[in-house]
Amino acid sequence: MEYLSSDKIAVIDLAAGEVEELELDEELVAQRIGGAGITSHLYAQYQDEDPIVLGAGLLTGTLVPASSLAVATGKSPLTGTLVHAPLTQYAGQELKYSGFDYIVIKGTAPEPVFLWIHDGIADIEPAGELWGAEVWQAVSQVRAQMGDELIQVLGAGPAAERGSDLGQLMINEWASGDRFGLGRALAAKKVKLIAVRGMGLLEIAEEEDFLAGCLELLKAVKAGAWGGRQGLGELGAALGYDDFAAWLEPKLHRHHAAFNTPFAYLGFLMLEGDPKAMNEPQADEPGVLVGDPGALGALKALGLNVEEAGDILKACAKAGLDAAGVAKVCQGRGITAAADILAALEDISGPVEGLSGPFSTWAPLGLAPDEASWRRRMAVAHVFGLDPIFMLMAPELSEDKLVELAALGTELEITTDTLEAVVEAIAG
Amino acid sequence: MGIKIDPLKCIACMACELACGYHRDDAFALLSSCVVVYRTRERKDYFGVVLKEEDSLVIARPEGLEVKKIGAAEEDSGGGDASAKPMLLREACDLCEDRDDGPLCIQVCPVEAVYQD
Repeated sequence: MEYLSSDKIAVIDLAAGEVEELELDEELVAQRIGGAGITSHLYAQYQDEDPIVLGAGLLTGTLVPASSLAVATGKSPLTGTLVHAPLTQYAGQELKYSGFDYIVIKGTAPEPVFLWIHDGIADIEPAGELWGAEVWQAVSQVRAQMGDELIQVLGAGPAAERGSDLGQLMINEWASGDRFGLGRALAAKKVKLIAVRGMGLLEIAEEEDFLAGCLELLKAVKAGAWGGRQGLGELGAALGYDDFAAWLEPKLHRHHAAFNTPFAYLGFLMLEGDPKAMNEPQADEPGVLVGDPGALGALKALGLNVEEAGDILKACAKAGLDAAGVAKVCQGRGITAAADILAALEDISGPVEGLSGPFSTWAPLGLAPDEASWRRRMAVAHVFGLDPIFMLMAPELSEDKLVELAALGTELEITTDTLEAVVEAIAG
Repeated sequence: MGIKIDPLKCIACMACELACGYHRDDAFALLSSCVVVYRTRERKDYFGVVLKEEDSLVIARPEGLEVKKIGAAEEDSGGGDASAKPMLLREACDLCEDRDDGPLCIQVCPVEAVYQD
């Protein structure tokens, strides 16, 4: 696969401690496009060894607006079914430029390990003291060990290691869109984390036309309903959360965006110091980055103030727990006081009611007109590698335009019929 | 007139960095960019943008701009954060002189944090 690709798949056999490298067949891309289209194909190929398959979308890491997404495909400990966990922030582009398009992690390691993916090399390394470490400590440690502060870490926390099915696949120190307990699935393989660094280069088939298409899409997005807006407050208002912006205000610091995503929905809650100060905070761990409007909304609905919610989100991030799942389980058990929720985190687990389907409701259903259109947008986002939340906000990122860019970028015959078949295959 | 950066408008999306890499390499890559989002202090939510110009490094920190002459900047780490390729080893901004539409980083910034007067 020559374009928008590193032309390589890593198949990591944990039991044998071996890595096999395969070429990414153009024919496979022409049939399944990318992202969840191909991770699900690889999952089926190695199904007997219970794999987790990581992959970027065909357009991840390009100038197509919202090109932030990577996908983790595997069997959810919570639902027992095949799921696609969305991984945004900087994880998608880092994976895309790592020298691998897809990474199949199969079997179980005899001893705890971590995976080091960089420069077209996939290594299996002993986890050592990383195993058992809380998430933030593990992120610092692996970056120090590898000597690169820009490494992106997809990892499991202590909650996942102890078998909690709320154990999320984290992105660095922060929550991801994984509602399915894939952190637990990773830890069950005796893999603590996957450290990824991407410094590669992606060739483009028709580069000038591709760029022109990207700029046209960005222009359309900026002129759209969400152009010129940003933040969790705006998002919460659209989701019908009462007085959300005012509730956030006392602790809200700044917003930032996932990679090349025009709407900044990642909000930092500054829990120590002045949230409005813009100089570098003195405290090493002054707050928590929140990219999960649903989790925040659920904690607010329990009657908590933003500081209490922030403390819980930070504790969940360190333990590697899905905070939305935590809020749901606590609500079901009648645990609503902040101190009681924090105390419950030590041994909290599922089940979580109402989970179904292959896509995460981290990208809120409330941003779509109905469930069918939500599912379709999720499928398209997970195939092309586009931010699922932004895909719900930006109808300008139309299927026709994305198919056109996919064909321009690769010189492959990718059509709306191709997309239709892939959507059908992954969304049912 | 050089490129200006408003660090408080910046949302750290890296679109400018990717665009600059495209301008240099006619492909998607980040190692050649002369405009870089520094983001290694994510745990503190402290981020900004570094721009390499012909004679200076422009460091757009949240609390304000700093301009370092290249000779002075060489005495420290390069005015930014850890990155795969030090800023001082990168090509200086040429304002995308081969493009009729001007600097690509300005065109792709979704929040007008990168601009020209």
